[in-house]
Amino acid sequence: MKKLMSVLFAGLVGLTTWSGVATAATEGMKQKVVYHVNEDDPKQQTGALRNIQNHINAVGKDNLDLRVVMHGNGVSMVLLPDALGRVKGFKNANADPQMQASIDALKSQGVSFKVCNNTLTGRKVNKDEDLYMVDAADIVPSGVAELAILQGQGFAYIKP
Amino acid sequence: MKSSDEFELNAFVDGELSADQQAEMLEAMRADPELARQACELGQLKAQIRLAYGTPPQVRRRGADKVRESWRAIAASFTLLSVGMVSGWLLHAGNPDDRAANAGRFVVLDADGRGRAPAVAADEETRIVFHLTNADQTVAGELLDEVEGMLNAYAADGHPLRVEVVSHSEGLDLLRESLSGHKERIHQLAVRFPNLAFVACKNTIDRLRVERGIEVKLIPDAEVIDSGVSHVVKRQKEGWSYIRV
Repeated sequence: MKKLMSVLFAGLVGLTTWSGVATAATEGMKQKVVYHVNEDDPKQQTGALRNIQNHINAVGKDNLDLRVVMHGNGVSMVLLPDALGRVKGFKNANADPQMQASIDALKSQGVSFKVCNNTLTGRKVNKDEDLYMVDAADIVPSGVAELAILQGQGFAYIKP
Repeated sequence: MKSSDEFELNAFVDGELSADQQAEMLEAMRADPELARQACELGQLKAQIRLAYGTPPQVRRRGADKVRESWRAIAASFTLLSVGMVSGWLLHAGNPDDRAANAGRFVVLDADGRGRAPAVAADEETRIVFHLTNADQTVAGELLDEVEGMLNAYAADGHPLRVEVVSHSEGLDLLRESLSGHKERIHQLAVRFPNLAFVACKNTIDRLRVERGIEVKLIPDAEVIDSGVSHVVKRQKEGWSYIRV
């Protein structure tokens, strides 16, 4: 099954490259994509960030408007390990130094990471103390609504 | 799974096998439910990738034939798969009384054609289809929280909203009488919000019957459509926002 997924992923990157090149060359427009993260498996999250890096490699950072929307368990991606005792409802806190480095690398290439405020209030998360580098501009009122709004604006939706 | 099988399965889903090979693959799927499930998932993933990357107009212009052909191939695979499933269902047809229990609730969502309008239509109606494939009732509960929050927020702002929750594969548990952890809540939501629909995938129901001999009994608020996958693909083509849970 792993192999199957890698074959599929290669296909995804191929398609991405193809449409990305076509878009950039013909329209001079950015490809708009939103990645949806709502699960707390650190391996899956690391894989998602790798997908995004591959996406950037394939299309080029200047041709992309790429956002990551986290809600529910997905917020664990930016949850600091020492916050796990303070917050409610999380089994994992995955923002270890390695995850932080991956996030920084993607941010430096223009990726923005959006966090759902419903999750923060519902699970007693303090964005300044418990999360890795999330500021007010990164908070959206509802992650689900944000996904719907972005798709309404022409963003392609990917759930890694 | 061996890698040669993977390639064959991929080729099957892409409609690249000969008629003989396809027949062989369908036969293998009838004998091996796991294989059938993988074909179903693969088809779904590929359909979504094509949908995400096949829709920009400039891409369509350059590769219109290719895109059309891929869609035709996907459609052909699904048709073949359905043929296989239906014949499997006929072979294993259970008690007609049990079947009758779900038969009356088949619906044509959108008799008024509203589903054909863009995601945010002229009347500013926002349309979202949630695709639930997770059996975890905690996750399903969080989904209901989100849905309820949105329905309330949009109603308070006077913005029209339409939401469908499509329960498919393991996600069907939410709508099963014996397994749902949220029967009461779903009923309350369904009564309160006429713009909210809970939709069950008939392919999943049939597969449970054929593979495990389970006669699925749905909760009263569930509506039934033929295929969860083709329904969410159809919705996206109609301009709905899509969120997988």
